[in-house]
Amino acid sequence: MSSEGTSPDSSVGIDRSRRQFIAAAGAVGVLGLAGCQGGSTGGEEAVTVASLNPMTGPYSSLGPGQRTGAELAVAEINNNDDYDFEFELVTGDTETEAGAAQSEAQRVVQEEGAEFVFGAISSSVALGLNDFAAQSEHIYFPGGAAVPITGSACNEWVFRFETNTAQIAEAISAYSVNNLGNNVWFHYADYAYGDSVYNRTSRRMENTSDDYTEVGTSTSELGASNYGSFITQISNSEADVVMLGMTGGDLVNFTNQAADQGLTDQMAVVGPTQTFQSVRAGTGSNSVGTFGGARYDPSIETGDNQAFVEAYASENDRDPGNFARVGYDSMRLMAKGMNEAGSTEPGDVRDALEGGTFTTVLGDITLRESDHQATNPTWMAELVEGGSDSADVELLEQVPGSETLPPASDLGCEM
Amino acid sequence: MTETVLETDGLTKRFGKLTAVDDVSLSVADGEFRSVIGPNGAGKTTTFNLITGALSPSEGAVRFKGEDITNVAPHERVGRGLGRSFQITNVFGGLTVRENVRLAAQSVYSDEINPGEALFRDKNGFDEIAEQTRTVLEQIGLRDRADEHAEALAYGDQRRLELGLVLATDPALVMLDEPTAGMSSEETQATMNLIDEVLSDRSLMLIEHDIDLVMRVSDRITVLTRGEELASGTPEEIANNEDVRDAYLGGVRE
Amino acid sequence: MVAADFIEQLLNGLTLGMVYVLLAAGLSVIFGVMDVINFSHGELFALGAYFSLSIIAPFGAGTGFWIAIVVAPVAVGLIGAAIERTTVRPLYGRDPLYHILLTFGLVLVTNDVIRLIWGTQQRQLAVPEYLSQPVSILGVQVSVYNYFMIVFAALLAVVTWYLLNRTKYGMIIRAGSQDREMVRNVGIDIDQYYTLVFGVGAALAAVAGIVLGGYQNVNTGMGNSVIIPAFVVVVLGGLGSFRGAVFGGLLVGVVQTLMRAYSGSVLATFGDTTLTVPNLEGLTVYLLMIAVLLVKPQGLFGTRGEESDGEGEILVGGYGGVLADSTRVRLGGIAVVALALAPIAILFMGDQYYLVVLNEILIWAIFALSLDIVMGYAGLVPLGHTMFYGVGAYTAALIMLHYSQSVFIVLLGAILICAVLAWVVGSLSIRVSGVYFAMITLAFAELLYSAVFKFDFTGGSDGLLGFEALLGLGTVGESLSNIEFGLLGYELGQQFVFYYLALLIAVLSFLFARRMMNAPFGSVLQSIRESEERAEFIGYDVNRYKRRAFVISGGMAGLAGGLLAVSPSTVIISPDQTLNWIHSGEVIVIALFGGMGTLYGPMIGSGVFFGAEEFLSSYTDQWRLIIGTMFILFVLFVPRGIVSIPSLVAQRLETANNADGAVDMDEPDVRSDD
Repeated sequence: MSSEGTSPDSSVGIDRSRRQFIAAAGAVGVLGLAGCQGGSTGGEEAVTVASLNPMTGPYSSLGPGQRTGAELAVAEINNNDDYDFEFELVTGDTETEAGAAQSEAQRVVQEEGAEFVFGAISSSVALGLNDFAAQSEHIYFPGGAAVPITGSACNEWVFRFETNTAQIAEAISAYSVNNLGNNVWFHYADYAYGDSVYNRTSRRMENTSDDYTEVGTSTSELGASNYGSFITQISNSEADVVMLGMTGGDLVNFTNQAADQGLTDQMAVVGPTQTFQSVRAGTGSNSVGTFGGARYDPSIETGDNQAFVEAYASENDRDPGNFARVGYDSMRLMAKGMNEAGSTEPGDVRDALEGGTFTTVLGDITLRESDHQATNPTWMAELVEGGSDSADVELLEQVPGSETLPPASDLGCEM
Repeated sequence: MTETVLETDGLTKRFGKLTAVDDVSLSVADGEFRSVIGPNGAGKTTTFNLITGALSPSEGAVRFKGEDITNVAPHERVGRGLGRSFQITNVFGGLTVRENVRLAAQSVYSDEINPGEALFRDKNGFDEIAEQTRTVLEQIGLRDRADEHAEALAYGDQRRLELGLVLATDPALVMLDEPTAGMSSEETQATMNLIDEVLSDRSLMLIEHDIDLVMRVSDRITVLTRGEELASGTPEEIANNEDVRDAYLGGVRE
Repeated sequence: MVAADFIEQLLNGLTLGMVYVLLAAGLSVIFGVMDVINFSHGELFALGAYFSLSIIAPFGAGTGFWIAIVVAPVAVGLIGAAIERTTVRPLYGRDPLYHILLTFGLVLVTNDVIRLIWGTQQRQLAVPEYLSQPVSILGVQVSVYNYFMIVFAALLAVVTWYLLNRTKYGMIIRAGSQDREMVRNVGIDIDQYYTLVFGVGAALAAVAGIVLGGYQNVNTGMGNSVIIPAFVVVVLGGLGSFRGAVFGGLLVGVVQTLMRAYSGSVLATFGDTTLTVPNLEGLTVYLLMIAVLLVKPQGLFGTRGEESDGEGEILVGGYGGVLADSTRVRLGGIAVVALALAPIAILFMGDQYYLVVLNEILIWAIFALSLDIVMGYAGLVPLGHTMFYGVGAYTAALIMLHYSQSVFIVLLGAILICAVLAWVVGSLSIRVSGVYFAMITLAFAELLYSAVFKFDFTGGSDGLLGFEALLGLGTVGESLSNIEFGLLGYELGQQFVFYYLALLIAVLSFLFARRMMNAPFGSVLQSIRESEERAEFIGYDVNRYKRRAFVISGGMAGLAGGLLAVSPSTVIISPDQTLNWIHSGEVIVIALFGGMGTLYGPMIGSGVFFGAEEFLSSYTDQWRLIIGTMFILFVLFVPRGIVSIPSLVAQRLETANNADGAVDMDEPDVRSDD
């Protein structure tokens, strides 16, 4: 379970021994010189970019959104004269599983020649792709939110536009303690993501209010389907707030069962990803009255979001969700990095992205030099009765990026 | 003075409330042809299974060549010289006739094969086993068909092979479970001739319900009814036994 | 308060348990009567929920839910009956193994069809308002829906019980699940009842899907997530026993729920020692299942003797082949030479990704070969074989991270650890036979799968990363990823070095296995497959031979897992990638697909399977549908696998030639067009 002490997110045992894809020294039997297939600069050249998304497996409900966002960005970039290159998009299915993701990544990089890769949602898959990016020296924009991706497992080739768990947890912690209640129960799924939500939110709450009390904690397995027993336990406690360290299907099942058993009426149910479209779709009216952090909402007026929402809606007949926005801007950031660098060479683009500030749907964000994490703002939100089958998101408060992102050293990144 | 090869002592087997074999004590002398007869449900097959080790007794003991084998595993009994044939032909159908016999012969020598040889040496490279295989194939008259798959053999030949498998393990006592079940009288005769031909130098124990057959071939006969031993003796003694006549020959026989 | 709390937990457990009862009832009777290990039961369960979604949509939750709960199960029942008629029926009398291949194919097909029609988005199944209210009775607060689930499922269970026990059909089916032969002997054509049983079983599963869908949500993974617990229930209760399914379902539901609620809580304190409930959630049911099977192999309420299992015919790939042995050796040689030259072709194409695919094929070829040793030769069907693959991979990664990076030490370590594991698992499980053996190995594999999530040293759900292998001994040697050399101006990297290493190991493993099968030890294994009883009565200690074969097989699967970790394409070893039960299913399917009992068949199977996957997935997202269909067709028409195709073709040609010659003299070359 969680490791105590200073660096809660370093629970993933990573011994970084960076692999060199091309090593000059120590080569065995050098018969000739290694061929170099460099990408040239300038001209209407085609740049192969890849989007690897969980189209099957546990996260198959989230992957398609990621993919659609990336596709929209590619179409726009190719129709925009500001970019004097074309993106050629290749796609792959990670199957929400590290082994399949690994071999798909190898396919798009080695067979299709992609040097710019976006994708993955689950922590395990993203960490695998992180390592692969460092090994083969291509740019990688992970779609996963787990802290170690730009924390203890960060490397110079990985840039993240997705808002990480730490940011979102920081944002909802203060609001919950200040406005929803001081007595907090934590229920989280027993894996890296759940642990990190618990560690971050509890620490932040403790720093925010002197009256804060941790009433109790409970953990379930990743993928557990029946939460009745926990809900009973929580309902019988003195808690005002239950903080959920879970996402995806786990969160959907918990929320549905919590509403059925009356927990939602009894106390504030807060989940960092409660506002996700997929969670709302799976919970229907059961999520009404719960709270969540929002990494994104189509209604926000930051950056060029409204243009994005309009374009997305006209293509897909629905508003974009968080994953679509990540896919969209991850691709655009690659393109903007290329423009900034004046090159489509991964090394040049990397240097241009590092520490750079770009306009996105979330406003002007910086890909921090220290860990390549985007300084995204976040929102606290409540779910309210909606017009359609699923609940609507009502944003309560925007928290600027500067207030939510802990220093890179805190998150365990050493580059 | 002939020695006793097999002895059972108060052998009893209960299934729940049913007592299938009740206090059966018999002894088979070395070289003897013993038959066990009785009507259906008399406990013949259960007795057979208790002796071969397929079942373990509720009470009583089995002694083979003077040693108590009551708690010895079936394969180990075979290793000590207690062979058996099956009522329904049970050979390795997907393997060749030669391989069938060779496997049985190999089992006799398996203690002498070290682990390395067992894993890596060509199975056909063991001279003694090959010799034994050849001899048995010769004895059962299947040498010409040695390379055919066992399941391709005619029924009669499969029965021969069945006996060959028993023979190849070089048993001191062979347990035969109704070897002529379902056969015509010609086939029955041929099978009995075969048994006589290849197994005549072994002790035999035949489980059978064909009383005429038993009378012809046995040295001694044991009659079971309802799990109990009714009588034992030479064919003449059995034929003249009042109890047997009442219980078996007169009543049940159709 | 404590009592009320406990009662609430108990109710939650019963709720889940009732779903298991519905699922297991059908599964168990299908299992008992027809010997079919039906993996597709979970997908039929999901199908029930998805049908309901479509039915509820136009009517609304109020009435739609009630229409759905009647109509959807009937529809799924009909689909089940159709599946039985068209695919399961031709397989009766064959070993249950073939049902694994068949129903595995059905899982792939059904799941892909669901994704195609309903999409991958998870949905909520709307239930009537009045059912989804919380209700408090004597301080015990749960949802009305909980009570509804319990009562409704109980009602169905009673009806099913009645049908099974009080009707003529039911009596025959029950008798059939205890002793099929006896039923046949009294002159009843039991086969006629199979369609009915399969259909009703599917309908019950569909009801379970709807009920659970309303409680949780509807998603494409729901079938996969219940099938293994459902098998546990069936095996715990006893195959073919309805009473067992009810008892087992409730037991598993309650135990799962209570362990979840109270794990880590203090039971009692004696002085300095506190007795706490160990945190074994997820492990408990598997431990329970292993314990029950060890004490009472036929399950809690099972009545069938062990002897009646595994009576079906196993079809070995090589038997009856038309190719002469020397031809086969020559073909094998050609294949190895072609594989050895393949990298050069790949080099000229400039696409190193094919090497990644070939590496995967080689690793799985070794894995499938290891399975063939126990499955194709000793007649044991382990449903948890991926435990060795996974433990091998984890062992290798851990050795690289903590002790030594030498490829040879790492692989040796993986082999040894897995051989020891196989010895332990084998010692405990080999005495049970047939499906029980399959299930107990599955339980061990699931136990290990759940365990790696729990420990820090295995990296939890993320898995292990940051390891690297060196080609050498100790710390002396060249890092695999550093080995680079050019040839004719082309760059030869780590993938090439690893490829030749994997190829060498694959060829050596094959030669090892072939040698073994031609040696005394292997010949006994083959005799055990042919007739276990006979092998015992010519003097072989059958269990000892099986156990040893299992140890060798486990070690070899560990080698495959170790190679996966050592491969330069592998940057992470995660639980789902290595220990998920799906891989146990896949490796069985690959071995059958290639042709088991031949050693080379499963290796070819690996090549064709991954080759087809690679090829198809580059053209369509529905590649699972195609591969699934391929499995179904193979099990029906080419049951001896790919390696039997030459003899099938020869047969076909022979009959065709005869027919042509006799009847159709005018058209000698009928087959030339098309």
